[in-house]
This record gives sequence, C-alpha cells and structure tokens, in this order.
Amino acid sequence: MAQNLDQFGVVLDTDVLVVGGGLAGNNAAIGAAEKGARVLIADKSSINRCGAIAGGVDHFMAYLGTDTWDSREAYLEWVGRIARGAVNVSVQNAVFCRELDAAIERMDRIGCTLKQPDGKYYRTSSFGLPGPYMINFNGKHLKPLLAKEARRLGCKVVEKCSISGLLTSDGQVIGAVGFNIRNGTFYVIKAKTTILATGNTNRIFENPTNMPFNTWQCPANTGAAQTMAFEAGAQLANMEIVRITLVPRGFSAAGLNALTGMGGKIVNAAGEEFMPRYHPMGSKAPRSKLVQSVMQEISEGRGPVYVDCRHLSDKDMTHLYTTLGYDKDTLPDFIEQKGVNLRKDRLEIMTSEGMQGGPSEVCSSGIMIDEETKSSLPGLFGAGDCADQMRCTHVCTTGGYLSGKMAAEYSGQLKDLPISVAQVREMKEKVFAPLSGSGRLTQRKFEDTMRKMLWMYAGPARNAHSLDVALDKLEQLGKRYSDIAAQNYHELMRVGESYQIMQVAKMMCHASLERKETRFYVYHNRTDYPETKPEYDGQIVVQKTDGGIKTFFKKLDYSTMPEK
Amino acid sequence: MPPVIDLKKCKGCGTCDLHCPLDVILFDQQTKTPIVRYPDECWHCGSCRLDCPADAVSIQFGPEMLYV
Repeated sequence: MAQNLDQFGVVLDTDVLVVGGGLAGNNAAIGAAEKGARVLIADKSSINRCGAIAGGVDHFMAYLGTDTWDSREAYLEWVGRIARGAVNVSVQNAVFCRELDAAIERMDRIGCTLKQPDGKYYRTSSFGLPGPYMINFNGKHLKPLLAKEARRLGCKVVEKCSISGLLTSDGQVIGAVGFNIRNGTFYVIKAKTTILATGNTNRIFENPTNMPFNTWQCPANTGAAQTMAFEAGAQLANMEIVRITLVPRGFSAAGLNALTGMGGKIVNAAGEEFMPRYHPMGSKAPRSKLVQSVMQEISEGRGPVYVDCRHLSDKDMTHLYTTLGYDKDTLPDFIEQKGVNLRKDRLEIMTSEGMQGGPSEVCSSGIMIDEETKSSLPGLFGAGDCADQMRCTHVCTTGGYLSGKMAAEYSGQLKDLPISVAQVREMKEKVFAPLSGSGRLTQRKFEDTMRKMLWMYAGPARNAHSLDVALDKLEQLGKRYSDIAAQNYHELMRVGESYQIMQVAKMMCHASLERKETRFYVYHNRTDYPETKPEYDGQIVVQKTDGGIKTFFKKLDYSTMPEK
Repeated sequence: MPPVIDLKKCKGCGTCDLHCPLDVILFDQQTKTPIVRYPDECWHCGSCRLDCPADAVSIQFGPEMLYV
C-alpha cells in the first residue's frame, strides 16, 4: 500500500497528527507525547511563531480560590450566563476546570510563568467578568517555549506544510494530505488519530482599513479545520456567530483589554463615558455589548470614540506601558508612531472587522467536541479556536493538552484502516487545481468581493432574506472559483484559504437561518427576530449531507453544575 | 509597510523567514538576504523582530494605518 502512495509524494506515519502548531496545537502535541504517543505536528508556517499568539499574549483567565467569585462554581456560573446558547458547561468543566491546575504548573515548568517577577499574580477584570479572572503575564515567548517543549518530547514537525484535507475510511478519520507552500511537495500522512487545531476564520468580512491581513486574530487562520471536518462529515456548532471587537483605529491589534482592564475609560467626542448608558458594568461590559454601543455612538454622530487612560496613577501607567506589548508586540510602536502619549492623549478606537468565532472568551465556533474533545467522527479531535468549546489562552492551553492526551489514548483503540489510493489522487488533484486555473479572476478580487458581500448581507445585521441573498451570491461567486490561478505554492495556499473562507461562510449563513432569534447583541443580530428566546438555549449544529448542508437545533442544559 | 530589514545589520541566518506566520518574508538562499516578498500580507505580529538575533528588523506603520 505504501508503495502505491509513494507515487503521490512523501508518505508519513504517526500515532497522533496535530494540524496547526499554535497554542492549542502545541499543548495537544505535548499532551500526546507525554502519554507516549508518536506525534507529528504539521503547520503552514513555523510552530515557534504561528497562530493567534505568535507575537505574544498577556492574559490567562483563571479562578484561584481566594474568594467565592474566585471558584470553579462561580466561574462556570459566569460561563453559562455569558455564553448561554453556545457554551456546553459540562464540556467546559472537562476541557478547562479539570485541567487548570496542571496547565498553571506546566507553564511554570516550561519557563513561562503566569506570575510577576515578585512572585504574585497580577489580576485584572474586563469584558463582563464577575471578578478579576484575567491574570496579566508576560507571554511574549510562550509560543517558542511550547515549541521547544514539544520538540524536547520528541514530536516530529513538518513546517511550511498546508494541510488541505482529511483521509477517511468507513466514516473514520485516518490521516490527512497537504503540500509544502514553497516547493509543492505533497504529503500523505497516515495517522491513528488526528487533532485539528487551526483556529478561527478571519478575512471573511470586509475590513475597515481595506487591508484584509490587518486582522485582530491571525489572518492565516481561515477555517481550514472547519472546512476539512465538514467535508469529512463531522458535526460543527456555533457557526452562525459573527465576532467583532474594539481595536485602535487603523490597527486591528489585540491588547485593548490591557487598557480597559487597567481602568481606561471608553469615551465619545464630548468626553462622555457613555457605556453606563448602555450597560450597568460600563466599560467592563461584555465585549459584544461594548461593540454594539460603540457602533451606536458613532452611527448617531457622537464619535469618534476613544480610550482615555489619562486618569491612571503613575504606578498603573508604568505597569500599562511595561505590559502593553505583551499581547501585541507592535502595539507600542503603532501608538508611538501615531504620536500618542497615553499619559496626555486619548487613543482613538474603532470596531474591528468581523470574524467567525465564538460569542465569548470561553467558547468558539467549529468542530463540536465532547468532554474528551472527540468530534462526531471516530479518529477526529478538535482543539483551540476551531473547536466549539475552546477559546482564548486559558481554554486553548488546558483543552489543547486534554485533546492530546485523549487522542493518544484512542490511537491504540481504533481500527487500522487502509488509505484509499483513489481518495488521495482526488484530493491531490483538487488542491493543485488552481495551478492551472484560467487566471480570469485574481484571488484578491475573489476574496474582496466575498468579504464586502458577506458584511452587507450576513454581517452584524442580518435577516432571512439577506441570508438567502448571501447564499445565492456565494453560489454564483463559487462558480468563478476555478477562474483563480496560482502562480506558485505560496499563492496556492492563499487560493485554498479563499476556498475555506467560502465554505465557512456557507455554514455560517445556513446556521444563522436556523437560529430564528437575536443573541449576544450584534454577534447574532437577526433583525427579523430581535428577541432572545429561551427555546434557543442551545446550539445550531451544521453537518454535510449528500446534496448540501443540514442544520438542526440541540438543546443544552444550564440547570445543573457539573461534578468536579 | 512593516517590517523593514536593515541589511547592514542582518547576519543572514534566515530566522525571519522561518518564523514569519504569514510567509511574508523569503530568505534568498543565493544572496543570503531576506526579502519582504508579500508586504500586503503582513499581520504586524512582530515575530521577525522578536526573534532576529541581529536586531535588524524595525516595524514601520504606513499612513494607511496611522491616519485613516
């Protein structure tokens, strides 16, 4: 069999394949390797610096048991409240709570402690938290430290390798195929279990600066996992959510929570701190409410909107300036080059581009996972932002690790099924097809059109008719996909990303049509159903059918506290 | 148009190419110099600067971001 596959390119064999070497993927690789599994990580860039926290991160959410708000129960109560209708509390308990202590210990051990140099935790509050769960820390080198640990444990790494599809047999996932983005080498990877960890979907909505790579989360994350899992037949959830955040005007950078977490006020042109008019928690309201309120202030003519930190004490300001670049390494450069001094000036902010991701800081959109991070397909696991129940540094660290342990455990239990030569041939032809595209349409024009159209018809205000229009236009535009030509393998990667964005957009529209209500303010704003309805306290599940996409509603239980 | 690489300081190690999450930088094996090949695809994450052992990378934001 191996000989038959050799004709296509390089054939590799592993127990656990991790697709995507970001925060969740690296933690998954570490978890699987510690269990003794042979691990292979494939990433289209480098596992040292890739994914959402490539250049660093500054916050890790945790409860530490100092008070009643600082407990597992209070945390899960908040989780069930803030993300009700998208979050599975029982899965959260498994992927986060049960793994939290081990994660804090692991970060210490690899040399990226959550503590300050004085040995204490620096904790702040923002985005609707019931207490200061956010641990502020220096995570500028978290990624390379995790990569070092994964390599130390013997994980094999295939870099500059874009994974394009999952190999299946009898409904079980048995590996994946991909190509080198520089020289086109094709890979056939046989794996007993596969963990997808490729993040959320960016570049999907019109960018306010007309720069599609100027995104809040990593613009290399374009829904690869969601697309591959969908095509293999897995169930996905929370796909209808549009995520938007607040960013410095002109630069879609993370890090604004550092300003608001320290007590920065969000003010309008008149200098009014307007958030209390919209929400009792003011500038520390949930992110979805902040975004909606800023949109309203600007649309009603009270903009521009700023973050004002001028009232902060010298001590707090010094801490802010020291830590500002931890979340986004280049944010201090941007502020300085703008000529802004936070001690004297306000920093203008805007609402970011839309992205496809979860409604809160705890859960995301994508592969529906259970308490063991298993998808609905045997052999396939989800980790990080591409899984429906993981999001942000804390859950991607804890849950990623759990997925590695689980994938290692199941790798010894699943059937050893042969790879179909016909399937590999078909997948290779599909991924390389744009190398012989007609060239009548550029990848940039294709994506720009899709982004503009989706923001208009399926963005932060949508209704049944506009979603139907979006689906129709996606269908028409999709017929032109084969007109895009890639001149080299870097461009081939980008064209493949456009395809993934298109597939995610279709899932998003179908899921949104199924959720006939508004929830999470602008994150799922159905103008034809403006109320939040208790009967939608659950998830919209998306799955491939023979002819297209089916969606259905799955109720979730918010009445019981899961066992420790 | 970030990043800007000072070729006088560059030691030709290729780390910026290896670590760029967006495949923006190409290290030319013939000339042993890095080329910012796809500047429009830069995410401004700072990885190239963080990991450059020669301190040869600076980040310069364009007017399209500073003054929009």
